[in-house]
Amino acid sequence: MIHDDIKSNILTTKLEQFINWGRKNSFWPMPFGTACCGIEFMAVLAARTDLSRFGAEAIRFSPRQSDLLIVAGRISIKMMPVLIRIYEQMPEPKWVMAMGACASTGGVFDTYSVIQGIDQFIPVDVYVPGCPPRPEGVVEGLMKLQDLVGKEKLSDYDPVQAK
Amino acid sequence: MPPATILSQVKEQFPETVLAGTEFAGEQILHVKGQHILTVLTALKADGYNFLADLTAIDNLTLGGFERFVVSYHLLCHQSAERLTVKAYIPEENPSMPSVESLWKTADWQEREVFDLYGIIFEGHPNLIRIMNPDDFDGYPLRKDYPRLGRKERDDFPVVDRGIQKKNRPQ
Amino acid sequence: MTRAIEQPLETDKLVLNFGPQHPSTHGTLRIIMELEGETVTKATPEIGYLHSGFEKLGEDLDFNQYITITDRMNYLSPLCNNVAYALAAEKLIGLEVSQRTEYIRVLMCELSRIADHLLNVGMLAVDLGAMTAFLYGFRLREDIYDLFEIATGTRLTTSYTLVGGLMRDIPEDYDKAVIKVLDEVVEGVDEIETLLTKNRIWQDRTKNIGVISKEDAISYGISGPMARASGIDWDIRVNEQPYSSYGDFDFDVAIALNGDVFDRYLVRMEEICQSVKICRQALEKMPEGDVIVDPGLGYSLPPKDEVYNSIEGLIYHFEVTMPNRGMTPPVGEAYVPTESPNGELGFYIVSDGNRTPYRVRTRPPSFMNYSIFSKLIEGHMLSDAPAILGSINIIAGELDR
Repeated sequence: MIHDDIKSNILTTKLEQFINWGRKNSFWPMPFGTACCGIEFMAVLAARTDLSRFGAEAIRFSPRQSDLLIVAGRISIKMMPVLIRIYEQMPEPKWVMAMGACASTGGVFDTYSVIQGIDQFIPVDVYVPGCPPRPEGVVEGLMKLQDLVGKEKLSDYDPVQAK
Repeated sequence: MPPATILSQVKEQFPETVLAGTEFAGEQILHVKGQHILTVLTALKADGYNFLADLTAIDNLTLGGFERFVVSYHLLCHQSAERLTVKAYIPEENPSMPSVESLWKTADWQEREVFDLYGIIFEGHPNLIRIMNPDDFDGYPLRKDYPRLGRKERDDFPVVDRGIQKKNRPQ
Repeated sequence: MTRAIEQPLETDKLVLNFGPQHPSTHGTLRIIMELEGETVTKATPEIGYLHSGFEKLGEDLDFNQYITITDRMNYLSPLCNNVAYALAAEKLIGLEVSQRTEYIRVLMCELSRIADHLLNVGMLAVDLGAMTAFLYGFRLREDIYDLFEIATGTRLTTSYTLVGGLMRDIPEDYDKAVIKVLDEVVEGVDEIETLLTKNRIWQDRTKNIGVISKEDAISYGISGPMARASGIDWDIRVNEQPYSSYGDFDFDVAIALNGDVFDRYLVRMEEICQSVKICRQALEKMPEGDVIVDPGLGYSLPPKDEVYNSIEGLIYHFEVTMPNRGMTPPVGEAYVPTESPNGELGFYIVSDGNRTPYRVRTRPPSFMNYSIFSKLIEGHMLSDAPAILGSINIIAGELDR
C-alpha cells in the first residue's frame, strides 16, 4: 500500500490551527513522579496553582490514555527500562516534559546510578529547570509547550520523511 | 547496666574475641573479630540490648584499622535507654561472617544492602541477593576502589527511535 | 437461599505485579503479589528504583555541602533531615550551639512534622477513596510552605542548617505568621477528623488491618508512630537524652494499643496536635542570641555582611570553603538518633580528619518500617494493600538513598 504524502500547504492551515488548538488546550498528562519533584507536581495539581485551568486536568496513570509524559524526579539505572517502556506504550501524538534538574541533566547527583538527563534516550520537548521548580515554573513550561504545539504542521507526523 | 560495665563483662567472657574497647564523644564502642559476632550479640541481647537500630559497613582502605572491612551494629536497650556500638572486623581475602538474622528480623534487609554495596557474604542468611542495584550489576559500588561516576552502567540504554521527525523541534 | 456447589472451584495462583509505576502515589515501589482469588498469599517487595548513591556522594562533598543532599532524602519533611545531620556533625566535632539555634531548630522540626503527617493522612485517604481529606491537607501544607519560604527562601529543599548553627536568623514578625498558621492547622485537623474518624467506611477499611504485635515491632526495627501504635512507649525526644533542648518543652506522647491501620492514623493526628503545642511554647520562650557559632573556630561560615566588610570575615570564609583548606574535624565517629516523623532517623558519620567525611550513613526509618510489609499483607485481600502501604509512610528517597 502506497503511503500518501501529506504535504502542508495553503489549504491545510486552518485545519492545522483547529487541530493544534484542540490538542494544546486539552493535554492529558501522565505524571511519572519519582522523587521531590513529584511532590511539587502534586502541589501544582492541588488548589492553589491549579493545572486544570489549562485543560490538563485529566490525570491518567495509564500511558495508553495520555499524551503528555511529565518526568518529575531523578531516574536511576534500575528505573530507566521502565521509563522507556512507558514512553513506547504511549500513542502518537505525544510530548515529554522533563521537570526538574535531575530529569533534565542529572541534577546534583553525578553518581554511578543516576541517568544524566533523560534526553540521552528519549526525545524531550520542554525542560523546566529548578530543584524543585516552583509550581509557577511548571505552569510556564506548560505554556511554552502550548506555543510549540500551536506551530505544528500535519506534515510533521509523516513517518516516511524520517528515513 | 551502663555500657562501660557491659564492655568489661564481655571482655571477660570472650577474651580472644574482643580486640579493643574504645570511647569517642561519650559513646562506647566495642571492637570484635567478625567470625564470633553471633555469640557476642546473643550475649548482649540477653543482657538487655533488645533493639538493633542500624547495621552498616565501612571500608577501611585508607583509614586503617584492624582489618579492611568492618560491619558496625548499633544496639539500643529500651529499658535503660542506653546505646552501644559493636564493630566486627573481617579480612579482605575472605569477607564473610555469620548473619544475625536469627536474632533480629530487621537484619534481613540490612545485610542484603551491605552485601549489595560492599560484597560481604553473610552465612546463614535466608535470601542473600542484591537489593538496591539491578540484578546484573557488576561490582560493589561503595568500596573505596569503585569510582563514583561508575563504569559506564548509566550510559548503557537503547536510544528510542520514534519513527517520525518533527521539523520545528529545537535540535 | 444458597445454591450448593458440588465441587469447590480450583483456582490457579495469579502473580500480580504492582509495578514501579503505579497510580498510588507512594513513589517507586514494586511488589510482586501472589493471589488466590482476592486473597494475597505472598508478597515480595522490590526496592532500589530510586537508588542515587547518596552515601558515595558523601565521601566527595564536605560537611556543609552535604546538607543540600540531605534534604533530598525525606522530601516531605526536609528540615528534620537537615537538623539530624547538623547534630551528628556537631557531636563529632564537639561544637556547642546557642540556645536560640536549638529553639529555632525545634520549631522547624515540629512544623515539618505537621506537614509530613498531613500529607501522609491525605495520601492514605486518597488511596482509600476519600479525596477531600487530601485537598484539605494540601491547603494547609501550602500555608506551611509559605512559612518555610519566609524563613529559608524555598518551599521544599531548604538546606537551612549549617554545622554550628543556621543559615540565617528568622525574620522579625515571624511569630505572628506562625501563630496564624497554627490556628488554621488546628481547625483543619478538626475538619479532617470530622470527615474520617467516625466514618463507618473508614473504620471498616482500616480497623484490624495490618496488625503489628509488640515483639514483631522490636524485632523488625520499627520506630516512630508505627511502633507507638503497637504499644511501644518509645519517643527519642522524651525517653533518651533530649537533643536540641527538647527537655524544655512540655508535651505528651501518643500511644495506641491495637497496632492496626486505624491506630496509626489516630497516633499521627494526635501528634499533629502535640506539635502545635510545642511550636507555641517555642515561640513564647524564644531566647535572644546569635544563630551561628564563632567562625574563628574554623567550622562555620561567617555572616555575609562580615565577609564583605571585614578582613577577618573574608579570611574565615576562605578557610572553610577553599579546596586546599577547609575544616579539620577530629578522627572518630558519631551516631545521633533523632525523632523524625517516620521514626528514628540517625546519621552515622565517620571522619578521618579531612574536610570531607570518610563515610556518611543515614539510618532510614522507611527502610526498616517497610521490611515488615510482606508479613503484614499475608491473608488480607488485595484492596487492603493500599491501606497498609499508606499507613507505613514509605518515602522512596529515604528508602533507596
